[in-house]
Amino acid sequence: MITVKNLTKIYKTPIRQKNLFQDIFFRKYKETIALDNISFSIDENEFVGFIGPNGAGKTTTMKILSGILYPTSGEIDVLGFYPFDKKEKFLKQISFVMGQKNQLIWDLPAIDSFLLNKEIYEIEDNQFKKNLNNLTSILNCSNLINKPVKSLSLGERMKMELIASFLHDPKIIFLDEPTIGLDIFSQEAIRNFLKTYQKEFKKTIILTSHYLEDVKKLAKRLIIINQGKIIYDGSLKNIIDFYSKEKIIRLTLEKRPEDNFLKKHSLLKYQFPFLVLKVKKNQINQIVSQLNEEIDYSDITIEDEPIEEIIKKILKNN
Amino acid sequence: MKNFLHSLKIYFILSLYSFKTINDHRKAIFFFILGKFFRFLFFFLLLFFVFKKNPSVNQYNFNQVIIIYLTFNFIDTLAQTLYREVYRFRPLLISGDLDLILIKPYNTLIRVLLGGLDFTDLGFLIFYLFILIFFLIKYQFDFLNLFLYFLLLGNAMILATAFHILVLAFGILFTTVDHTIMIYRDLTSFGRFPFDIYRKTLRDFLTFVLPIGIMFSFPPKALFGLLSFENIIIAFLISLILFFLSLKIWGFSLKKYQSGGS
Repeated sequence: MITVKNLTKIYKTPIRQKNLFQDIFFRKYKETIALDNISFSIDENEFVGFIGPNGAGKTTTMKILSGILYPTSGEIDVLGFYPFDKKEKFLKQISFVMGQKNQLIWDLPAIDSFLLNKEIYEIEDNQFKKNLNNLTSILNCSNLINKPVKSLSLGERMKMELIASFLHDPKIIFLDEPTIGLDIFSQEAIRNFLKTYQKEFKKTIILTSHYLEDVKKLAKRLIIINQGKIIYDGSLKNIIDFYSKEKIIRLTLEKRPEDNFLKKHSLLKYQFPFLVLKVKKNQINQIVSQLNEEIDYSDITIEDEPIEEIIKKILKNN
Repeated sequence: MKNFLHSLKIYFILSLYSFKTINDHRKAIFFFILGKFFRFLFFFLLLFFVFKKNPSVNQYNFNQVIIIYLTFNFIDTLAQTLYREVYRFRPLLISGDLDLILIKPYNTLIRVLLGGLDFTDLGFLIFYLFILIFFLIKYQFDFLNLFLYFLLLGNAMILATAFHILVLAFGILFTTVDHTIMIYRDLTSFGRFPFDIYRKTLRDFLTFVLPIGIMFSFPPKALFGLLSFENIIIAFLISLILFFLSLKIWGFSLKKYQSGGS
């Protein structure tokens, strides 16, 4: 469905020189490599999470895949099209939701923007009604579509943005920070909607988010990108198995342990009665046996390292 | 044909939304219209008082100067009525909302150039048209010259379109829209007066280098029978070249688009 080979994107920004004459007639440019020869492919019905620090190249990748930006070099095939050609057939099959950008007409009710999209995407009346009903019922927001966009809260507006973007039943959906700035309830509502929508309608979704919770809950496949290069491409489960060398042990103590015990182990946190230890994966059995002998506890849980920590480590090592 | 009708339908919807938005800001629009009306009135009175003392200025009589002024207003207002969206391009560009227009299966250039009809200017356009017709009827014109006048008005609109496309393209390339559009507006204001009042060097520069003269001065000159056949051909050639050049630069600018925001 999406194939990318050796994709490179270089941004050019003018450098201000000391001389105005040179600035005008002999401009010099600074080149920034946003994407450095990346390759990957995405199949139908996949939910892929793109993560990486700011400026890593996540959004640039999605903008090239959707035809917004022109690549510097590389081969791109999305649904059999070269995105930048902006063929009508291609554009009718994709959608792009950007958490920080707005496609709705600010002064008018959202329904007016939906009706405009109906004409732009040439959606049949029955299909439009069906899709609108489906989307408003999943998002539970049929009461909002007739309110002027400017009077909606950020969370409500994002719901309207999603409806506007999904009305034409796109095959591929690009989501760039769809939950940015939203409160936890709105974030949850958007996540639940995306999960239900993808499950029900079998769409290919590519998501970038700074909230790893979004990626953890929604994407099965993860692409980590840093400084324009892909440094991990695989499942969420594999990243934990492969990169996590440590486990977290959480204990609820019955008695205060001896000072020796506290010095011997690498403690993450200790506030009686709670104790958190970080241990090497291959030493887990040995450590648990030691704990049984050395301290009294009423509860013990063994967890994987949080994914945030694993990703931080990967990015740091990279 | 299907594509044209489809585009027309979308244009109609966008125009309707533009009207709804204007309706939401009635008070602000009222003062905007009032300001424009006074500007027109004061300039009209200035011309009236100038001609009260002098029967002609540079061989042009009052009726002819008024036709030149009204022709300028008509072309200028028609361009603003149609291309008002260009004035809203910078926020689109800076916020990055242009991205969401680029992914729509509707021609981006048509969307950012035409948007929807500007109804405040449409009112003025009708007003100017009526006065223009009134003065045209008063003027003893030749039918062939009148035909050339309308043809050159069409040509002026091709040039106005090309200028607005260039403003959009420069906006993408250099993220400056307001400056370019203000330079365009300042230059076009030369067209309020008969071009013959300017020095030859400036006149030639404004006619053949920056074809403002072709836009505003040629149609009334053709009506008065003062334009040579060669100049008419040159006018059409320059317009077509500039129009195709502007489309090329627009295409080039899209390739250089770097997208704002995140």
